[in-house]
Amino acid sequence: MGARPSLEEIARRMAAVVGPGHCFTSPAELLTYECDGLTHGRTRPDLVVLPGSTEEVAQVVRLARAAGRPIVPRGSGTGLSGGARPVPGSVVVGLSRMRRILEVNLADAWIRVEPGVINLDVTRAVAGAGFYYAPDPSSQSICSIGGNVAENSGGAHCLKYGFTVNHVLAARLVTESGAVVEVGGPSPDAPGLDLLAVLVGSEGLLGIVTEVTLRLLRKPEATRTFFATFPSTDEAGEAVSQIIAAGILPAAIEMMDGLAIVAAKAATGLDWPDVGAALLMDADGPLAEVEHTSERAVEIARRAGALEVRLPRDEEERQLMWKGRKSAFAAVGRISPNYLVEDGVIPRSQIAEVLREIEALARDHRLRVANVFHAGDGNLHPLVLYDARQAGEEKRAEHLGGEILHMCVRRGGSITGEHGVGAEKAAYMRDMFREEDLETMRFVRSAFDPDQIFNPGKVFPVTPLCGEKPERGGLHPAERAGLAERF
Amino acid sequence: MRERQGAESDAVLGVVPRLVFEPESVKEAVAVLGTCARDRLSVSFVGGGTELGLGAPPTELDVVLRTGSLSRVVEYAPADQIVVAEAGLSLSGLQRHLAPHRQWLALDPPYPDRATLGGLVATNAFGPRRARYGSLRDLVVGASLVRADGTAAKGGGKVVKNVAGFDLPRLMVGALGTLGLLTTVTFRLHPLPEAARTVLFPGVDAAQASSLCASLRAAQLEPSSSVALSSSDRFDLGVRFEGFALGVEKQVERLVGLGRHMGLGAEPLGVAEAEGFWSRHDSVRELGPLRLKVSTPPSRFPDFAGTALPALLGELSPAASAFYPSLGLGFVAGRPAGIASAAAAIEMARGEALGMKGSLVVAEASQELRAAVDVWGPPPPAFELMQGLKNRLDPDRRLNRGRFMGGI
Repeated sequence: MGARPSLEEIARRMAAVVGPGHCFTSPAELLTYECDGLTHGRTRPDLVVLPGSTEEVAQVVRLARAAGRPIVPRGSGTGLSGGARPVPGSVVVGLSRMRRILEVNLADAWIRVEPGVINLDVTRAVAGAGFYYAPDPSSQSICSIGGNVAENSGGAHCLKYGFTVNHVLAARLVTESGAVVEVGGPSPDAPGLDLLAVLVGSEGLLGIVTEVTLRLLRKPEATRTFFATFPSTDEAGEAVSQIIAAGILPAAIEMMDGLAIVAAKAATGLDWPDVGAALLMDADGPLAEVEHTSERAVEIARRAGALEVRLPRDEEERQLMWKGRKSAFAAVGRISPNYLVEDGVIPRSQIAEVLREIEALARDHRLRVANVFHAGDGNLHPLVLYDARQAGEEKRAEHLGGEILHMCVRRGGSITGEHGVGAEKAAYMRDMFREEDLETMRFVRSAFDPDQIFNPGKVFPVTPLCGEKPERGGLHPAERAGLAERF
Repeated sequence: MRERQGAESDAVLGVVPRLVFEPESVKEAVAVLGTCARDRLSVSFVGGGTELGLGAPPTELDVVLRTGSLSRVVEYAPADQIVVAEAGLSLSGLQRHLAPHRQWLALDPPYPDRATLGGLVATNAFGPRRARYGSLRDLVVGASLVRADGTAAKGGGKVVKNVAGFDLPRLMVGALGTLGLLTTVTFRLHPLPEAARTVLFPGVDAAQASSLCASLRAAQLEPSSSVALSSSDRFDLGVRFEGFALGVEKQVERLVGLGRHMGLGAEPLGVAEAEGFWSRHDSVRELGPLRLKVSTPPSRFPDFAGTALPALLGELSPAASAFYPSLGLGFVAGRPAGIASAAAAIEMARGEALGMKGSLVVAEASQELRAAVDVWGPPPPAFELMQGLKNRLDPDRRLNRGRFMGGI
């Protein structure tokens, strides 16, 4: 191989592929791409390219590969685990220009889209015909389908309807060699290995997806929602357990603790009372079934100690209740200058104990934690509140977040339910998996990308260099000093 | 651990292994695969043997590892609707364990008394209720496996919602034991439905069956199964609702109305009649030595039923088929009259299915017919990536050698 081309030369070649307006090298233009939704870890890429077609993506991959540059794929950049955070020297490949809806087939209930299409726009495209796309991450009005595929995104309604992996029928993949491969198809059970099973949720490590065929669902006949308040998370947690034990599978069942309720109220002006905990539940399906299950669930909530149960009068009020829930994350910004979002999972039956343990941990760290989460599947989103201006608080917040994740694993859960491992939680993978497990996953990776050109430094923990401990989600001291790279 | 010489009854598609091991613990299973790795022995895994007809005969077979003694329920958390069980446990064995808590693994494949959890996952087995609960890849949340090199590894977890690491458990679904031995599997569970009711539409044609299923969806009804049984060009379509009694009754009423509107006579079945219909469904696969699995986009079922299906049924005597119009899946089974003409009909039907971006797999056939027709059909565009995975996880190709598509 000859000498590696200079950055200017690479940029020139990339611009020839994607057009000069879609290839950035100046620091001001690169700034946006230094991080994703997780803003406290930043790395500047050398180059950002925004290809407009599968063929352009393939050429970009070939060029980057030939130049020995790692590739960091990126959708809308809303991820919360640093999955789209660049590594030093990398080329960011943004898919935001590829946002066409290519084909809709309602007879077979699927839609074929480019990866930059926004999640909610999929549902919007088919809502008129009575269909929808089920996975509904809270960021659905801005996050992209390509990002959803990379992260195996969930959302409030995945309790009943499953995650992205349950809704992807096919994908077009640009591989590390720049080849274009079709994976899956419109018919079930294609013979051969189920590559989509590992491709979805692979966090951009296996290639770049340039087209996705998604399963659409017929809108359910009826949805019944209720909002119930409780003196504390103990009673609310008990209500969740009893609803599930009664054989009811809610479409979604969400919990907020007192602090999260205060924040959501501050952001939306909702007239929710100041209580220790609240539940928001959706039941959906055929009308007769839904009326029965929602009535029973309300009954159970009352018996478990609900202070008040509110039923929305109309769809508008229902949407407002959900807006309160969905805005709770950002709303926390109104009651704290800074916060960290965690994404741990615990067995659902342990909710009440776990919340008490989180409270105790928070006390030990002299910090506050607001909890807003998917109670039905035990997916916690503890929001660790802190003030970065106070010396040492950010470190304490990070430490507390880590303690919470350790506890989730200790209780048989997971370090991430839907945000992904990314750069942020790679160091925690060893909590959940032994070296042999990780090695098996690395085998899968190397089958797709032997030279690790796609999204290096994500998902897999870095083997400590010289016995030094890498900081969480950050650079190893040796990397920072420019002595080592991660690919 | 039991260990013995292989016999005729241990044969995998006619190939008799030299040795048979039946480990009684995961640790012993790890040891067996370690030995196989050291001595470079090729190995096949056998559970209940209900899908042993699937695939090509192994091109080499030293060892059969029987999983039947790995049959413990490792952990069951009813409140979390999660169970961890060893791969050799039968499905019925698992369901018996769950039933006192009014829960079940929402999977209804054939032969639940014999079929093992590991075998079901490896073959991606399913039954009619897949229409409601999804396939195994929607139910598996974790798995432990032993790699070809004898290393134990795991993926997934014990909670339904979990995106940490690559999804090894789902990758194992339908991989036919070519990537590793499943030792334990973790499933999400569902509540047992309170009530069930089946409605029969006798003697409809494929287009009517298909449009009734489409109307069901348009009307926002949610059946747990829809199956069209046939041995000719007329189908008996059974639609089953399950759930809370009130919801089931209302949906049955609406379906009957829907059928009337389309000019189709609906017969809501009593308990015994419904059992009769579903056992007729189960018996389709026992009709003869040939069984085909057909996959098409759901809306193309009438097209397949127009030309390909009659051609297949015409080659078989007895002959029967079971199609799941809402899924785009179906089985054709029976006894072929002649090898060459049956092979020709299969190739023709496969061509039809492939033309619709579907597939046709020969799931069970005599040795003569296997010699005349490719059981898997042409490899898909992503075959090279599949080979890559196989090469990384089983570089010597010792697991189920030659049995899966394209020799994987």
